[in-house]
Amino acid sequence: MHEQIGEHILWQWPVFGTVHADTIMTTWLVMIISLVFFAWVGASYRSAYVSKRQTVAEGVINYIADLAMSTLGERGEPYVPFFISLFIFIFLMNQFGIFPFKVLGLPFGGSPTADINTTLPLALIVFFLTWIVGVRMNGPKQFLHVTKPNVLLTPINIIEELARPATLAARLFFNIFVGELLFIIIASIITAKVQIGPLNLSLAVTVVPFLIQFFNFFVGTVQAFVFTLLAIVYLSLATAEDH
Amino acid sequence: MTSEALVAGLTLLAFGIIVAAVAFGSAIGDGIVASKAVEAIARQPEARPNIFTFMFLGVGVLEAFPIIGLGLGFYLLLSVANVPNLLTHLH
Repeated sequence: MHEQIGEHILWQWPVFGTVHADTIMTTWLVMIISLVFFAWVGASYRSAYVSKRQTVAEGVINYIADLAMSTLGERGEPYVPFFISLFIFIFLMNQFGIFPFKVLGLPFGGSPTADINTTLPLALIVFFLTWIVGVRMNGPKQFLHVTKPNVLLTPINIIEELARPATLAARLFFNIFVGELLFIIIASIITAKVQIGPLNLSLAVTVVPFLIQFFNFFVGTVQAFVFTLLAIVYLSLATAEDH
Repeated sequence: MTSEALVAGLTLLAFGIIVAAVAFGSAIGDGIVASKAVEAIARQPEARPNIFTFMFLGVGVLEAFPIIGLGLGFYLLLSVANVPNLLTHLH
């Protein structure tokens, strides 16, 4: 079996050491696609009437914006574009794994979010955003938040703060990774030519990837949404005036 | 019994226990979330879009743990113990 679990194309870079080439190239490809797409959507804003693509894009954007504004209140308005771009970027990265570029021998393909090196920086962005915004709003007494209900609970609060980016990264990574793992398992059953009595299991199991792809589409959408919503909730917890 | 057979059998048993446990727990959790959402919609039908949003948030957060369990189980089965390799060398 050629495809291995967790196998990446490696590059040797002078400063960074060994990097995953396919993850980096796919991430840049997704960035280019989303920039071109939003330039295309934004071009319709130059004319006076409302075009169809503008209406569809504003449906998604208004949904996230209403959610952020209802959770964060008025003071969350400057951060709404960040959450919208976070949602759309993660959504596109999750759904990019549907294209079988790697099978064609190209050096990119697969979901970049099936690599923990993509999801952990995204979670760290959210972690530092919550702390920097909290310090800008409340001043240095933001750090007293960890002692809040009682001073005795400080260690538990610090562990909770540190566990947030870890669980945020692990949740997104494992959901997308297991989706790709299931394909490899099905492929190994197909190539093993299993015959149980009159039933050709390898032939019967070829229907399953269609169902798995549907499940992956659902999981990719829900996980992008959950990541964005948890980022909103963490920011609202950090910027709350009083507990 | 050879040690390879012992390792393969115990790893398969551990994989079964992991998958059964995460399936059991997540099924109960998903059921609680869905039943509470249905109750809330029955009480306040006009709040349905909001309830759906938070139901999917709850299901998404909850669904991560069985997936993490399944991923670690497959890692144990295929990478740590390499059970398919052990099984082909058994006889």
